[in-house]
Amino acid sequence: MSEILKVQDLSVELQQKHILSDVNFSLYSGEILGLVGPSGCGKTTLLNAIAGFVDFTKGQVIIDGVTISSSHSVPAEKRNVGVIFQDYALFPHLTVKKNIAFGISKLAKQKQQQRIDELLTLLKLTEQEQQYPHQLSGGQQQRVAIARALAVRPSILLLDEPFSNIDTRLRNSLMIELRALLKSLNISAIFVTHNKDEVFSFADKIALIHQGNIIQYGTPRAVFDQPKSWHVADFLQIGSWLPITRNGDKISTALGEITTIENTNINEQQQVILVKPQYLTLSSAAPNCVVKHVSFTEQGYHYTLSSINQDDDLSFDELSFYSDTLLTIEQKISVILEPHEYQLFLKPCHQ
Amino acid sequence: MISRVKYPVWSATSWLIALALMTPIAVMFFSGIAANSDTFLHLWRTVLPDYVLNTVLLAVYVVVLVILFGVPSAALISLTNLKTRGVLRWLLLLPLAMPAYVIAYLYTDLFDYAGPIQRYLRALFSWQSPADYWFFDLRTLTGAAVMIALVLFPYVYMLTRTAFEYQDQQLVKAARSLGLSSRQCFFKVTLPLARPAIAISASFVLMETLADFATVQYFAVNTLTTAIYDTWLEYGELSTANALASILMVMVLLTVAAEYRARAHQRHQSKNKQTSKVRISLTTRQHIIGGIYCWFLVIAGFLLPFILLVDMAVQYFEQTSLAGLWHAGLNSLEVSIYVATVATLIAVLLGLYRRLSGVKNCAIPLQISGFGYAVPGTVLAMAMLATFGPLDHWLNDVAKWLEVPMPGLLLSGSLFAIIFALVTRFAAIANGTIASGLTKIPKSLDQAPASLGVSKWQSILTVHLPLLKSSIMVAWLLVFVEAMKELPAVLVLRPFNFDTLSTQVYQMISDERLEQGAIGALFIVLFGLLPIIVLNKKE
Repeated sequence: MSEILKVQDLSVELQQKHILSDVNFSLYSGEILGLVGPSGCGKTTLLNAIAGFVDFTKGQVIIDGVTISSSHSVPAEKRNVGVIFQDYALFPHLTVKKNIAFGISKLAKQKQQQRIDELLTLLKLTEQEQQYPHQLSGGQQQRVAIARALAVRPSILLLDEPFSNIDTRLRNSLMIELRALLKSLNISAIFVTHNKDEVFSFADKIALIHQGNIIQYGTPRAVFDQPKSWHVADFLQIGSWLPITRNGDKISTALGEITTIENTNINEQQQVILVKPQYLTLSSAAPNCVVKHVSFTEQGYHYTLSSINQDDDLSFDELSFYSDTLLTIEQKISVILEPHEYQLFLKPCHQ
Repeated sequence: MISRVKYPVWSATSWLIALALMTPIAVMFFSGIAANSDTFLHLWRTVLPDYVLNTVLLAVYVVVLVILFGVPSAALISLTNLKTRGVLRWLLLLPLAMPAYVIAYLYTDLFDYAGPIQRYLRALFSWQSPADYWFFDLRTLTGAAVMIALVLFPYVYMLTRTAFEYQDQQLVKAARSLGLSSRQCFFKVTLPLARPAIAISASFVLMETLADFATVQYFAVNTLTTAIYDTWLEYGELSTANALASILMVMVLLTVAAEYRARAHQRHQSKNKQTSKVRISLTTRQHIIGGIYCWFLVIAGFLLPFILLVDMAVQYFEQTSLAGLWHAGLNSLEVSIYVATVATLIAVLLGLYRRLSGVKNCAIPLQISGFGYAVPGTVLAMAMLATFGPLDHWLNDVAKWLEVPMPGLLLSGSLFAIIFALVTRFAAIANGTIASGLTKIPKSLDQAPASLGVSKWQSILTVHLPLLKSSIMVAWLLVFVEAMKELPAVLVLRPFNFDTLSTQVYQMISDERLEQGAIGALFIVLFGLLPIIVLNKKE
C-alpha cells in the first residue's frame, strides 16, 4: 500500500488558541481512518487543515506527493481532497444530477454524463436524478454528497461526522454500505466522529485526539486491547475503573487482592485498573457490591455497581457488569474479578 | 487561523466604498463643528434654542404617540381573539406607504376653517365666524406630531407584534401557573419581554422624525431640518447650514448610541415561534373598543387619505399636467433605478466580502456603509454640498489652468450627488436584506465548492449569487421604493429644473394645490405599498 497522506508536526492556532499541536500520522491508499475524541479536541480542525479550510501555523501535510506547509500553502480547490460535510452541503438550487456534476464542469459533456451515470448507479440514485435535495431522505442526501465528492476523483475523502444526521435505526446499514463502497473503490478516507461504536465498525485505524494531540493511533483491535492511557480507555468506554492500593507486593482492590500487574514500576497514588465487564462474575461469597442501576441490553442485564464500603481508597461507584441473572436495585451481591492480564492506569486528579 | 481569501483588490474595494460613503458626512461634520464660533453664537442667541426645542418636542410627542398607537394594536392583533384581526394584521401596515406631508395636506384641507368639516358644522349650528366656536388647529407642532405618528406607528406595531408572537409561551404558562391573571400576565411578563422591540422601533421612529422635513415645513414648525433647508436655499449660508446639520447629526448619534446601549445586554426573544398560543378572549365591549381603535388607525393613517387622494385625482384629472407628471415620473424612475442598483451591488460586494474573506475586521466596511441610514436626508444633502462643492471648484480651476472647457458643477450639481446621497442613506436597507439572505446559506456551502476543485469566484457565481437571488431582488425593490419616496435630499440637491414625483408633490403642497399633483402622490403611495406586500409575503 502506498502512502497517500502524511501529516507531520502539524500545529494550528485559532484566535490565539492552540487547537492542534504537533500532530503526526500517515494514511495509506484504501485505508479508512477514524478521528475520535471529545467535543472541542480538535478533530474537525484537523480535517479542515487537511482540506485547506484552515491555515496551519507549523508543520506540513503531504497529499499524494504534494507538500503543503505554512510557507507553501495550496488553496482548498487545488488539493484534490473530497469532503462530506456534516450537513452534506448540497446545493439546494441544483438537482441531484447538477450537484454531482458541480465539480466536473470542465470535463467534456460526454465524459461528465458517463461519470454521473456511473455514480448514480453505484449509489442507487438513478430515480432521484432530477430531484432537488429537499425532496430526498437523509440517507439519499448523504449518497448524493458522496457521489458529488467522488465525481472529482479525490485523492482522499474527508467525512465530518457523516452519520450524525442519520436515524439511529438506519445508521448501521448505511455505515456498512459506505464502508463497502469506499473499499470497492479503494478510496482513502478520514472521518470524524465522537461515537465510539461508529469508529469501531467503520475504521481500519483509529486516532484518538485529546487536547489537540493524537494520544493513540492504531487498529481498533489494538486500541481496544491495549489502550495507552486513562483518556483513551475512558473515552472509548472500554471498561470501568477499579481503584487499587499497594503494600509492598500486595495489591488490594475492593473486589479482593490481585497478583500480577503490568507497569509495576508505577507507584503514585490514584492508581486504577481497567476492568472489562467480561472479567467480572457473580459469586456466592460475602457481598462486596450494591446494585445501583439496572438496564436491559442485547447482552443481558447491564448493572452499574458501587462498593459497599464507600469510605476508603478502594471504593468505587460505577462498575459496569453484565449478567443474565435479574438483580434488584440496592441488592447486595458478591462479584469477583477473574484473573487476567491487568492494565494499570493513572487516573487524572480532576476526574 | 481560518483560511483567508487572498483577494487584496476585493478587500481594498470594500474598504474604499465604505469610506467613500462616509467621507461626505465626515467632511460636513468637521466643517460644521469647525465653523466660525460667531456663527454658533449668533445662532444660539437667535433661533437655535427654538429650533432645538421644537425638534426635541416633536420627537417626544411622536414617540409617545407611536407607542400609544403601535403597542395596543400589536397586542390586540397578536394576543387576543379580536374580530377582523386577520385583515387588520396587514391593514395596520398600510399607513407606512403614506408620506406624512401628504396626509398633513389632506387633513389640513379637511379640517381647516374653509374645509368641509368646519363648513358643515357652521351650517349645522349657524355659526358665523371663528369667534363663535372653538376648533382645533392642525397646523401646530402637536398637529405635525400626530400626522407623523399616524404614518410611522406601523414600525412600532410591526416589531412589537413580532416580539409578542415570538415570545416563549412557556413563560406565560409559568406565570399563569403561579396565579397571575391574563391581564397581569400581559403587564408583568408579555409587555416587559417586548420592551427591546418597542425601544428599537421607537428609536427608529425617532430617527425618521428627526429627518422629517416636509411635514414640519408645511405646518411652519421650525425644526432643525427646516432651518438647514432655509439657511442654505433661502440665505445661501453653507457654513451655518453645515453647523445646524452637525447639531442634528449629534442628536441622531445620541439617539443611536442610547438605543444601542439600552439593548446591549438584552436577550428577550425566543428563537422558537410558539404557534399553539392561547389567545385572550375579549368581552363584547372589549371587542368593540379594540375594533374601533384598530380601525381608526387604519382609516386615519391610510384609508381616508387614500380615498381623498383618489377623489382629488379623479376630480382634478383635467387640470393635471400629465406631461409634467410623466417627466417627474421618469426622473424618479431613473434616480431610483440607479440608487437601487448601486446600493444592491455594494451590499452584495460587502456582504460576500464579510462572509467569505475570513479576514479580521472584515465586517467593518459593511457596518460603516450602513451608518448613513441614521443620517437625515437634509444633513446628507449638506454633506454632499460640503464635499462635492469644493471638489467641483477645484475641478473647474484645474480645467481653467489646463485651458479646457470647464465642467461646471459636475458632481454637486448633477444626478451624481443625489444618487450618492441616496445610496449612502439606503445602503443599510440593502445590506440588511443581503445579510439576512446570506445567513440562510449554510457555512458548509462556502467550503463545498472548494472541496470539489471550484474556485472562490466560480463558487460565488454558481452557488452564492443564485441562492441570494430573491434577497437581491427584495433588496433592490426596497431601496427602489425608498429612493422613490425620499424628498429632502433630492429637494436640496436636484439640478435646476429637475423634478421627481416627490419634489413635484411637495411643490404642489407648498403652493396649496396638491389637487393637481394628486396622481403623482397616488403613485408614491402605490409604490410605497410594494415593500409592505413583500413583507407580508415573506411572513
